[in-house]
Amino acid sequence: MMSLPFVLFACAIGAAWLRHRSVSVGFWLIGVVTMLILFHIHLTEDLMIQL
Amino acid sequence: MSAELSRLLNALGLLVIGAVLTMAFIDQVWFGELPCPLCILQRAGLIAAGCGLMLNFVFGPKPSHYAIATLGAVASAAISMRQVLLHIVPGTGFYGPAVWGLHLYTWAFLFAVAIVLGCALMLLSDRQFSQMQPVSGRMKGLPLIALLLFFVLTLANVFSTIALCGTGLCPEDPVDYELFQMND
Repeated sequence: MMSLPFVLFACAIGAAWLRHRSVSVGFWLIGVVTMLILFHIHLTEDLMIQL
Repeated sequence: MSAELSRLLNALGLLVIGAVLTMAFIDQVWFGELPCPLCILQRAGLIAAGCGLMLNFVFGPKPSHYAIATLGAVASAAISMRQVLLHIVPGTGFYGPAVWGLHLYTWAFLFAVAIVLGCALMLLSDRQFSQMQPVSGRMKGLPLIALLLFFVLTLANVFSTIALCGTGLCPEDPVDYELFQMND
């Protein structure tokens, strides 16, 4: 599951190589959303930043 | 700034991102420092930023491509800032070794900020957009090298992450490659 953003970004690069700009941007967008969801899942502990 | 110079600078920027990702791999493979989940997501953020630079030299410079690079860099900065804040209070530990006095996640934050600043500086030049003409023919030279390196490093991250975490989420503090443990 953690490799999903990389897979989607690889697809974005591949689409750009094939000169499909909108497809590339689409893969990029899904990749970023996936990355942010995974980031949210990993926010498991509260920050303790009081001195 | 001409569109050609802008393409060249974007290719150089992508090579720098490639160099940073390569150093992260050297740290992982050579020195055995396995990346934590947030470290993996920081790499993904840098690749997301690199996609914007790549679009600039494949399709020609556009403000929307710089926006893509900036959004990727901001996502990477947010993830690395989270990790910095986890360890900012004395006595709360750290993750991985320090390089020139700063941990890798602090370097990742500074690098993401540098990408945002770089995009802002590039956006100051309007001429690159007015001279826009479609890129014809095959890519060659520096842009081709940058694109191939970027693609190979992205694929390498796919395989590395699968080896480290399997098909699920990564352990908070990985000690070994999960894929190789399954084979034992």
